[in-house]
Amino acid sequence: MGERAVTHARRLTLAHLWVAFAAFAVAAVLGVWQMWARSPLPAPYLTAESYFTSVTAHGVSMAYVLTTFMVMGFGYYVAETALGRPLPLPRFAWLGFWLGIIGSAMTAVTIFAGNATVLFTFYPPLTASPFFYIGLVLVVVGSWIWCGLMLWAMLDFKRANPGVPVPLAMFATVANAVLWLWTTVGVAAELLFQIIPAAFGWNESVDVGLSRTLFSWTLHAIVYFWLLPAYIAFYTMAPQAAGGRLYSDTMGRLTFILFLIYSLPVGMHHLFMDPQQSSAFKFLQMSFTALVAAPTLLTVFTISASLEIAGRLRGGKGYFGWIAALPWERPMVLATGMAFFMLWFGGGGGLINMSFGMNAMVHNTSWVTAHFHLIFGGTVVIMYFAIAYAIWPTLTNRLPMSPRLQRLQLWLWFIGMMVMTLPWHYLGLQGQWRRVATFNYSDPIIAGWGPWVIVSLVGGIILLASALLFVWNLLQFHSARAVVATDLRPIYALAVHPPERVPAALNGFALWNVLVLVLMVAAYGYPIAQFFIIDAPEAIVHRVNGRG
Amino acid sequence: MRADTEQEILKTELWWTALVIAIVTAIMLAIIYAGVVHHINPPSNIETIDPKTLHLTGEFTESNLGTRVEAGDQVTSRVVATQFAFQPQCIVVPSNRTVTLRFATPDVIHGILVTGTNVNTMIIPGYVSQVHTVFTKTGDLLMPCHEFCGLGHSQMWATVRVVPEDQFRPGPDGRASCDAR
Amino acid sequence: MKPAELREIDRPWRIWASVIIVSILAFSVVFGFLVLPIVQGRAAGLDAFTAICRAVGILPGSPAVKQPTSEAKAQPTTQVAWSTDLMRTFGRRTQAGAEIAQGCVACHGEHGIAADPQNPNLAGQSAAAIYKQLHDYKSGSRVHDVMTGIAQGLEDRQIVEVATHFASSARRDLDPTTAEVVDEDVIRLVERGDPSRGLPACNSCHGFNAGGPIETPTLSHQNREYLARQLQAFKTDARRNDIYTRMRSVAVKLTDREIERLATFYATTLSY
Repeated sequence: MGERAVTHARRLTLAHLWVAFAAFAVAAVLGVWQMWARSPLPAPYLTAESYFTSVTAHGVSMAYVLTTFMVMGFGYYVAETALGRPLPLPRFAWLGFWLGIIGSAMTAVTIFAGNATVLFTFYPPLTASPFFYIGLVLVVVGSWIWCGLMLWAMLDFKRANPGVPVPLAMFATVANAVLWLWTTVGVAAELLFQIIPAAFGWNESVDVGLSRTLFSWTLHAIVYFWLLPAYIAFYTMAPQAAGGRLYSDTMGRLTFILFLIYSLPVGMHHLFMDPQQSSAFKFLQMSFTALVAAPTLLTVFTISASLEIAGRLRGGKGYFGWIAALPWERPMVLATGMAFFMLWFGGGGGLINMSFGMNAMVHNTSWVTAHFHLIFGGTVVIMYFAIAYAIWPTLTNRLPMSPRLQRLQLWLWFIGMMVMTLPWHYLGLQGQWRRVATFNYSDPIIAGWGPWVIVSLVGGIILLASALLFVWNLLQFHSARAVVATDLRPIYALAVHPPERVPAALNGFALWNVLVLVLMVAAYGYPIAQFFIIDAPEAIVHRVNGRG
Repeated sequence: MRADTEQEILKTELWWTALVIAIVTAIMLAIIYAGVVHHINPPSNIETIDPKTLHLTGEFTESNLGTRVEAGDQVTSRVVATQFAFQPQCIVVPSNRTVTLRFATPDVIHGILVTGTNVNTMIIPGYVSQVHTVFTKTGDLLMPCHEFCGLGHSQMWATVRVVPEDQFRPGPDGRASCDAR
Repeated sequence: MKPAELREIDRPWRIWASVIIVSILAFSVVFGFLVLPIVQGRAAGLDAFTAICRAVGILPGSPAVKQPTSEAKAQPTTQVAWSTDLMRTFGRRTQAGAEIAQGCVACHGEHGIAADPQNPNLAGQSAAAIYKQLHDYKSGSRVHDVMTGIAQGLEDRQIVEVATHFASSARRDLDPTTAEVVDEDVIRLVERGDPSRGLPACNSCHGFNAGGPIETPTLSHQNREYLARQLQAFKTDARRNDIYTRMRSVAVKLTDREIERLATFYATTLSY
């Protein structure tokens, strides 16, 4: 599949990605200030309320705004470039965009007005102003429109090209859309039936066990929604950037299918330490969680093999010579290498979190914060950067003189993430708990943590420098020299043996949706139903938006 | 890596898949082993209690909180997590003896861990959280609230005082407190 | 390719995918629902049926240990329990509330603003806070020479009405001339707390956007003398109707000077 003109999706993608990265830059500033506040050094503007306002804003911007807009924008880009067809119904795409903008703005205003210090996980019975939640719902509704458009674009392609496999990049994007539709069911139910009525004052109490269970439905799969663009880049962009080919197209398809299936019935591993879910269902979801390691391990292999092909084509010899022969000066290749490196640490940490015995050692400690910053902030976001650097030339038809600053930015991010999260992992094992504004450094146990907290703050400052440099680098594109489209390297990799025909199972999602349904009923059916059977006691709502 | 024919690629991928399956199976077997031999279980006793009337109940009434030696020499410690303090703020427990910790909350979600141990549970309004453990090291351990529970969350912690078994001397009513020592 | 051929290459995928996924599910069910609870239950002296029911969550308790019991008697520090119904009754201002409030004028002022600073202002106070204190006077959880008798003369419904009445009255204006220069450390206690003493920020419950316990009173615009006396009462255990020592555990850590300065700060400076 060669590179084709980006037509409708050009402005659409740019708009989405700029919103995503603007939110990211703001959140990066807040993140550094939070680490400063937690350190033994005196931080300015620090009050309990300002700290948790900041944590809420940081979490919402990074986890909901950056990711959703990135996934949507990149999806529109893939739909048009990989399928080689104009995006259907672009007006609806703009509708989804504006819903997301209005929702994000509404949520942001509520947070900074001090009416939503509930953090991005908003666990009831603490409830924020209803406009905080309505804003989030609007973002989700906007993303549902995106899901519909992705499915529509794929079906349209299949109708026009009977028997032709859907290109892997698009297949994976649609897998993410299907995953997201399943994912949002849990949190949507929690918001619409429990939290929003409570926030408006229509309900004075809330079933907390049920709300945690519904939120857990979403809480793990959402991570894969954030992650899949990175995997799409691994499979379809990195081998091409390295000058090689994708080792196996089938493995790519299977990986995305496995993500769809096993990221959903596993959310209860976030509730391992909760009293309201039983050990049998925790075991069930734990064994599914173990299987989520499978697609990642398959990817590590397939992408390493693909890069090996590239390295050998470039003259690399011996067992490891091909690694040195890879074109590391290209941002996509460099970012892929760094992402894999961080994935080893983060994935290893994840295996510890998933076993309920070891989870007791690290649950709600800095270890968990370190884990998701390393996997999401590290592996995933560094691939967001690489994707942006790869597609910005085709979006702007402009190319800066040299990718030197891009490489510097990636290195800063990688080093900063390591310097920040390795101390956090260590502190988590020492028992440092999360989500606190200030520590009592006069306590002898906690005093020993101080130096490590300061080291991680240094990591945070490096990350902030990288974040600002990233925005600067993107701005450089818009003022760089113009190029004609033919100068640009094609983006998507061909497979070593491009598929001529694939079974329907690897070309669509009907079968997998049925299996997801079976697993979700098995994993979440009784755990949700039990709250209605045991008549669980409810808790009185505690509102943080002004005493009424 | 050989990649001349589709068959070769398939074969390599299948070998790798087998390795992945072996890794996942090994992890699961380790967990099952821990469950069967060491009886590792998550804190999962779905035992409901109404948070609205928690302070009116017998078990979690203010005067019944803290450590108590009960029938069968069972050491049980009851703690309430509330915005923004634990009650009591210090509990005393003997080392090298099974201790049952029971937690409940009248208001919002909290959670606890005890530094340097595997004691860890969420405290969810509506449920009693229960942890069985054996403390092996003596001394004062920190027991912070580890889930955001409101603006005072950062200052919410208690102390677990682990004393050698021979220095653990409950009163005639079976109760032991940090002050008494 | 013909549709029949397509179906043919798809069939093994459908079958094998389903078989594998259902087998993994069955494996997890066998171990999680049967093997583990039976083995663990046996060691704890539980029969297999009980252990399985506990593992699945039908019976309370862990499959691996016996449940402790407690025979303690309730000795509550207050009889007030918040319920959905009670929370819903606040907020509807009634004529009856205004009439009951006439009985409060002598000490709490005509509009709920007390002339004698030893008495609390009620205007603009949270309805839940007033309800809780009146109810506690009535039940004896809190004792006062005058208030105990008055509260005992009120029915629960009347307590709700008068609480709602005062909650919706306009609060006292802050007099800027009485505002004092406030020490940095007092503002710190109010906004940030003191980690070294485990003191949460006062505003983490008493702030405008706090989300603390339901019965938390508003302190801003309150009388300095009243605030200081109550903090002292909590500190010395003379007053103990706070649920789970929420205030006693804080007040006991405050110095007398801090109590004075905090009372002044809330009474004269802080406004929301």
